[in-house]
Amino acid sequence: MIKKIEDLNFYELLEISPQATSQEIHKAYERIRRVYDPNSIALYSLFTSEETAAIHQRIEEAYRTLVYEDNRKKYDAMLRSRNELPEAPPPPSPAPKFQPRSIQISPTARQEDHYADSGAGAMPQTAQRPEQGEISPVSPFVAEFTGPVIKLLREQRGLSVRDIAEMTKVSVRYLEFIEEENFKKLPARAYIRGFLMLYAKALGYDIERMSSDYLKRYDAATGFPFSLRKKPEG
Amino acid sequence: MMIELQDALRKKEIWAIGGGKGGIGKSLITGNIGICLARLKQKVLLVDADLGGANLHTTLGIGVPETTLSDFLNRHTENIQDVIINTSIPNLSLISGAQDFLDAANPNFAQKTRLLRHLETLDADFILLDLGAGTSYNIIDFFLFSDHGILVVLPEPTAIENAYRFIKSAFYRRFKKVVTHQGIKDLIDAAMDQKNTMGVRTPFDLIERVKQMEKEVGEILELEVLKFRPKLIVNQVRTKNDIQIGFSMKSACQKYFGINLEYLGYVEYDDCVWQSIRSKRPLAIEYPYSRPSRCIERIVNNLLRKEQFTLSMLY
Repeated sequence: MIKKIEDLNFYELLEISPQATSQEIHKAYERIRRVYDPNSIALYSLFTSEETAAIHQRIEEAYRTLVYEDNRKKYDAMLRSRNELPEAPPPPSPAPKFQPRSIQISPTARQEDHYADSGAGAMPQTAQRPEQGEISPVSPFVAEFTGPVIKLLREQRGLSVRDIAEMTKVSVRYLEFIEEENFKKLPARAYIRGFLMLYAKALGYDIERMSSDYLKRYDAATGFPFSLRKKPEG
Repeated sequence: MMIELQDALRKKEIWAIGGGKGGIGKSLITGNIGICLARLKQKVLLVDADLGGANLHTTLGIGVPETTLSDFLNRHTENIQDVIINTSIPNLSLISGAQDFLDAANPNFAQKTRLLRHLETLDADFILLDLGAGTSYNIIDFFLFSDHGILVVLPEPTAIENAYRFIKSAFYRRFKKVVTHQGIKDLIDAAMDQKNTMGVRTPFDLIERVKQMEKEVGEILELEVLKFRPKLIVNQVRTKNDIQIGFSMKSACQKYFGINLEYLGYVEYDDCVWQSIRSKRPLAIEYPYSRPSRCIERIVNNLLRKEQFTLSMLY
């Protein structure tokens, strides 16, 4: 059965499976958004500009629906009621997912940091996300990547600081300083930029935007270009 | 790997290479795919089906041939074997395109079916048809007749526009062949006109309209949509964004036509292609280790394995 573009469900529109993780959804969204960009020559002569605009709007709607767990659940239930989606898989067994660490690896690690028991080095899975308190969702169109915003985005994906540390090889301490915007304790600006790029990549956000946004705040707070000039010459 | 590929296929296959626009490298790609296959010890016959402007022989470094397809089409000879020319490359032979008659550019239906019938009897592992530019019925029919219809496109609006027009023509021609109802045939003809007054903009609209007229016919057309799987090569790629165009076109085709366009791969832009044409020596022979040659090898590989180019191959 073939479907018109208006009849595609959000998963079909983004060309992903209904089991896609939030990271996959985000990647697919970025890709599809580029495909249906009004300036994309691949669409030339196929769609009118009004049609492209309508498709674009639907892509945004699809992303906003699927990226929030609550909205996605509601949407899935709606699809199921229309028989467009198979029944939900049984929820994962409630076996303990996280175990306290027995050995201190680094003196900086804090008590509440845990290793996942799925084996060292295993990528954290969003499905294993532990229940969290009330986190108000951030808009997917983040105005600015500040420390707290980055923290929220991370928590939305069900990732702990340690997960990010494993993915990026940036120490937990620095990641926390980044999130807290503890600029004084962070290393030189060039290093922060590197950390931010790795962090953005791990979260699946635009690398350039996230690092430049953050560094703007850093510069404003530390008076970055000043501090260089103020340095007394030998 | 070679042995594996050789075993992969023993049956004769006919591939047609088209694309709507002229000068996008159809002949060059056809010739070099042929050479690649011949190197894999496949018996390959290249047929220059560009009846108006044949130059496949030039991409292979062969001068103007004495016997051409027009000799066969005009019944100067009854046996298609007589117009086959052996090339200097082992396993590779050629039927050159018509050079002379204006008439030959528009063979009638009987001539076309006779050609296709004879091609099917030939002893070859692969027959590659190099189609001409445009979307005339002659070209579309050869495209639809083949086992694999391959579209070549450049990362430019003009070429992309023509490629979509080509897909649409092929698609509607295919529709017309499976329906007998004259009213539906007329409807399909009318739908070809983008500015038709019936509000039929996309193939989906057309199928819906046909279903209203006759439900079963509409369902048959839906099946035809699923069976039609043209393949795509993006030629003269200069940037990563150019490579992405193939994926974008695949997505757009799925969403606009409902058809599955298979992205076979891309060929990089390189001066050595131009140099090889200037020296009238085939690219795959003159510059076998160049990037475009490598790209064509990869495309042949994907074709033989019935695989597509995927995003993961890109990074």
